[in-house]
Amino acid sequence: MPFFKTVSKLITNYNSFFLEGVRNTLIISALAVLIGTMLGALMALARMSNIKPLRWLATAYIEFFRGTPLMVQLMFIFYGLPMIGVTFPDIAFIPDFSRFMAGIVAMSLNSCAYVAEVIRSGIQAVDAGQMEAARCLGLSKKQGMTMVVLPQAIRNILPALGNEFVTVIKESSVVSVIGIADLMYRTNGVKAKTYNTLECLFVAAVLYFIMTFIFSKLVAWTERRMAHGRKS
Amino acid sequence: MAGNPNASPRDIIRVENLVKKFQNLTVLDSISVSFREHEVVSIIGPSGGGKSTFLRCLNLMEQPTSGSIFVDNVNICDKKININKHREKMGMVFQQFNLFNNMNVLKNLTAAPVKLKKMTEEEANERANALLKRVGLPDKIHSYPSELSGGQKQRIAIVRALMMDPEVMLFDEPTSALDPEMIGEVLDVMKELAHVGMTMIVVTHEMRFAREVSTRTLFLSDGHIEEDKPSHELFDHPESPRLISFLQKVL
Repeated sequence: MPFFKTVSKLITNYNSFFLEGVRNTLIISALAVLIGTMLGALMALARMSNIKPLRWLATAYIEFFRGTPLMVQLMFIFYGLPMIGVTFPDIAFIPDFSRFMAGIVAMSLNSCAYVAEVIRSGIQAVDAGQMEAARCLGLSKKQGMTMVVLPQAIRNILPALGNEFVTVIKESSVVSVIGIADLMYRTNGVKAKTYNTLECLFVAAVLYFIMTFIFSKLVAWTERRMAHGRKS
Repeated sequence: MAGNPNASPRDIIRVENLVKKFQNLTVLDSISVSFREHEVVSIIGPSGGGKSTFLRCLNLMEQPTSGSIFVDNVNICDKKININKHREKMGMVFQQFNLFNNMNVLKNLTAAPVKLKKMTEEEANERANALLKRVGLPDKIHSYPSELSGGQKQRIAIVRALMMDPEVMLFDEPTSALDPEMIGEVLDVMKELAHVGMTMIVVTHEMRFAREVSTRTLFLSDGHIEEDKPSHELFDHPESPRLISFLQKVL
């Protein structure tokens, strides 16, 4: 079949392009989820805080970032922020650092909102009686949280965080529009060079699928392992 | 400050004009009552009458709307006191057991007393072992809550509260979530506690326990204490029409 012939030709001739794209996609996704998780944990705390203004701010943030397209957020940060004087610095030894940075910031801020909800629902899924029992023994809210509630919430949170990573790998393809050399951007490059549109997109789809498939299998495996442990 | 310096034995808990409202619903309507050392008090009454809410106010798991609760003559409704210190003195046992699912039995028992520096880990382990023997569960020390029956969970929940060496034990319908054949084993532990002089306040539907084990019974209905008498007297000579009709239904 000519289709697969072209595909195999693309892979032999342009594998370094595709692989660089895969590498950048993974780097951006990993950083976005890592930063998103750290910020998301804080955001979840704020969201559950007893301090009302803090809670409102966190809720507004989460609703806003979940309710607007990532594309818009990305454009806003990359094109919009410099217009009001906020720029990301260039670092000499990393090419295109400011561009890369804008992508990671946008993806992280977006991921933060989703992770915050994952963590909040993970904590709130733990039976309220667990915290009550801890408080009744004289433990503080903080002690009850760290000793009793969080260890149980982790079981709910970890698999959902893995799924978030899978989602982010796919979503990250939008950073190609601001010229970050991720898999989508590299695919477009090869496409423009060879005019093999369908074949190029096929290669990209397969590569994305391999990434997400491996990771979601990994998530399912950890989920099963955790289910072997003690349930309520 | 003290309620009555001549009272002997002393009051452990004194409740004055306790009111609890949820929005517009008045659940507890100005309750005043005292609990003395070594007393075993049952609280009975129709569901929705405020029994559990009352019990949960005693260690501030519910914040009273107004009124005072004195524990060892300290008003725990005072915002300045450290409520955690007072909760250490008041063990609580729940209808749903609420054992910590992420810890085995030993950890369930020792985590709080060790964390709160009541005892060293060795002392806590020793005490846990001794108490587990007393409730007949020494072989469950390394089990997780998910591996235990309801009756076993509840006996361990009682031991967990006892680990803190409390002055008073609060029981919130401790046998209501149990299968009938397991109620006896939990009541036996409670009876033994009563015999060794533990001060107990028990919200219960077990009329036999109220009548035979507790020294005094309160009938709580519509947010009021309708009757408050020695148990035998309350069951043999109920006075208020509500109590009479309640007893007719449950006995």
